[in-house]
Amino acid sequence: MPNSPSPQGGGARARMQRWLPKLVLSPSFVLILFFVYGFILWTTYISFSNSGMLPDYSWAGLRQWSRLWNSWTWGIALHNIWIFGLLYIVSCIVLGLLLAILLDQRIRAEGALRTIYLYPMALSFIVTGTAWQWFLNPGLGLEKTMHELGWQSFSFNWLIDSGMAIYTIVIAAVWQATGFIMAMFLAGLRGIDGEMIKAAQIDGAPAWKIYLRIIIPQLRPVFLSAVVVLAHLAIKSFDLIVAMTGGGPGNSTAVPATFMYSYAFSRNEMGIAAASAVFMLAVIAALIIPYLYSELRESRS
Amino acid sequence: MSFLHINNIRKHFGETTVLKGIDIAIEQGDFLVLVGPSGCGKSTLLNMIAGLDSISDGELLLNGRRINEVHPAQRDIAMVFQSYALYPSMTVAGNIGFGLEMRKVPKHERREAIERVAKMLQIENLLDRKPGQLSGGQRQRVAMGRALVREPQLFLFDEPLSNLDAKLRVDMRTEIKQLHQRLGATIVYVTHDQIEAMTLATRIAVMRAGELQQLGTPQQVYDDPGNLFVAGFMGSPSMNLLNARIVMVDDEPVARIAAGEGTLELPIVRDREALRGWQDREVIIGLRPEAITDPASANRQDGVIHETSLTVSLVEPTGADVYAVTHLGGRDINARMRPGTQLSPGEQTRFAFDVSRMVAFDPQSEERIR
Ligand SMILES: Nc1ncnc2c1ncn2[C@@H]1O[C@H](COP(=O)(O)OP(=O)(O)O)[C@@H](O)[C@H]1O
Ligand SMILES: [Mg+2]
Repeated sequence: MPNSPSPQGGGARARMQRWLPKLVLSPSFVLILFFVYGFILWTTYISFSNSGMLPDYSWAGLRQWSRLWNSWTWGIALHNIWIFGLLYIVSCIVLGLLLAILLDQRIRAEGALRTIYLYPMALSFIVTGTAWQWFLNPGLGLEKTMHELGWQSFSFNWLIDSGMAIYTIVIAAVWQATGFIMAMFLAGLRGIDGEMIKAAQIDGAPAWKIYLRIIIPQLRPVFLSAVVVLAHLAIKSFDLIVAMTGGGPGNSTAVPATFMYSYAFSRNEMGIAAASAVFMLAVIAALIIPYLYSELRESRS
Repeated sequence: MSFLHINNIRKHFGETTVLKGIDIAIEQGDFLVLVGPSGCGKSTLLNMIAGLDSISDGELLLNGRRINEVHPAQRDIAMVFQSYALYPSMTVAGNIGFGLEMRKVPKHERREAIERVAKMLQIENLLDRKPGQLSGGQRQRVAMGRALVREPQLFLFDEPLSNLDAKLRVDMRTEIKQLHQRLGATIVYVTHDQIEAMTLATRIAVMRAGELQQLGTPQQVYDDPGNLFVAGFMGSPSMNLLNARIVMVDDEPVARIAAGEGTLELPIVRDREALRGWQDREVIIGLRPEAITDPASANRQDGVIHETSLTVSLVEPTGADVYAVTHLGGRDINARMRPGTQLSPGEQTRFAFDVSRMVAFDPQSEERIR
């Protein structure tokens, strides 16, 4: 073995080899400790302080938290994230599962189709948001094209309708993530024992019943993973909204992430922003930590 | 009109031909075992009978009805798979009753049928468990229950015992045989294990590389192998196959075999007329280990015994028997001696050949000479 270091290569060298990886990794470890966990602690402290435009370390107790919960915009943001998250998760899972089932019928162009479906996930939210913003913009995209094609009465202005704008964001987000969810379901479907499906055919079950009664119940772990992945993507969705609507019209598409940004950087209310950030972190942690715990326990046993 | 008629069936997967024209017919109540090495097309044939694989060519008749194009659910068959293929999200009762449920059997009838089958297989106490909570042997029983509950015309088994440990495998084999005798069911059973085939079958179909080598009762296949492959595949320890030359002594054919410095001449009893035509030509003769014994355990009543002295090269006691290995006709041959026989390597001892059980094969075509 010419490449493997010999353990007998002198005491100093051996000690060096043992310490080198730790030495190389330690700066990034220190940086992560400081910039991630340090700032989490800092943000948490700020949420209990009197900070406004600039950090102010005087203790304010729960004042910023109560201002947050009394804020009208925060109410809209919570309402929006609830609608957006629910529609986003449910649509991605339903569409992803349907596409995976279609692809699982061993059609000819599977390789090409899978790539096409997966491509949107490779785009950043900014690109997705900008593209959909053009497409749905009444003066630029779909509506204008339809008018030019001669369908004068066609109208699709959800993007600028404060009651409907949140749904355009759902459409764009679903378009982006569905392919990825489909790939997860497809992997799950491919893992199912073929003999079981043969047994169900002999038992006289039609195809839809085989899916409903036998295959889909076995995909439970995939459903769980999909919900966790999508839920945290939904809470973190910031760039997509900024690119598509900027939180508008008015505050109609504000979500906690855009709320936090605008309170921190344009409204000079750092304390409230910090409280909202800590709240989001807590929700994501409540989702992810039990999931990671169960996943790690499973992989260890 | 036979009950199940497999008429010149072929199967192609694209360019490759997996089954090259299989002809098998069995009667109601038969236990047909398809046996052969892995990859010879047994599962493919079974899947075609089940309707899970399409039939490329030929005709499949069940009870006089052509079922080539009939959907698996409408063939009135049930199948037990090697992996058991239980539905993991359903209870044992749900698994067993699923076929009845799909056939819209009312709930109380279904419950009765499930309980009857569970009792027969001694799994009544498992009905509310999920397959994940069962041992391999219990899963196997549930898989059988799922087939039995439907009372189909034909049962199909694809290597159902191969995932069990050795002891359980023998027990389940006995149970399957009892079940067959009690229900009088018609069964097609796939295995690569020739002992399973011998013990279970009323008919054995030996297959190799997509071709049917021989179809017959276990006794026919064992005593009257149609070619060298069947002779070597069936039986454990396998049949002794040795080179010999047919010569005429007193106008009767005998098989002359090289034995140490000299030769051994075994009189020919079976297929004597056919072997006359092989005068002064090489053949391969086959003798089962139990047809070469010590003189005291030779079957003098039905057999024709020819004794000779040979040197023992190896002794293998198995408990029930002692196998003595000796060199003959250019090969090591196995002889089955009386249990407790005291022998040591290098020793000269008397062997009794039951030549009435000797068969001969053409070394070129590997076909039986008869
Ligand atoms: N779907 C398939 N496509 C191509 N070849 C196949 C397919 N299924 C089986 N075969 C081939 O057919 C042969 C017989 O397979 P099989 O019936 O499973 O063998 P056995 O059950 O006797 O072990 C094998 O050589 C296998 O590779
Ligand atoms: Mg097989």
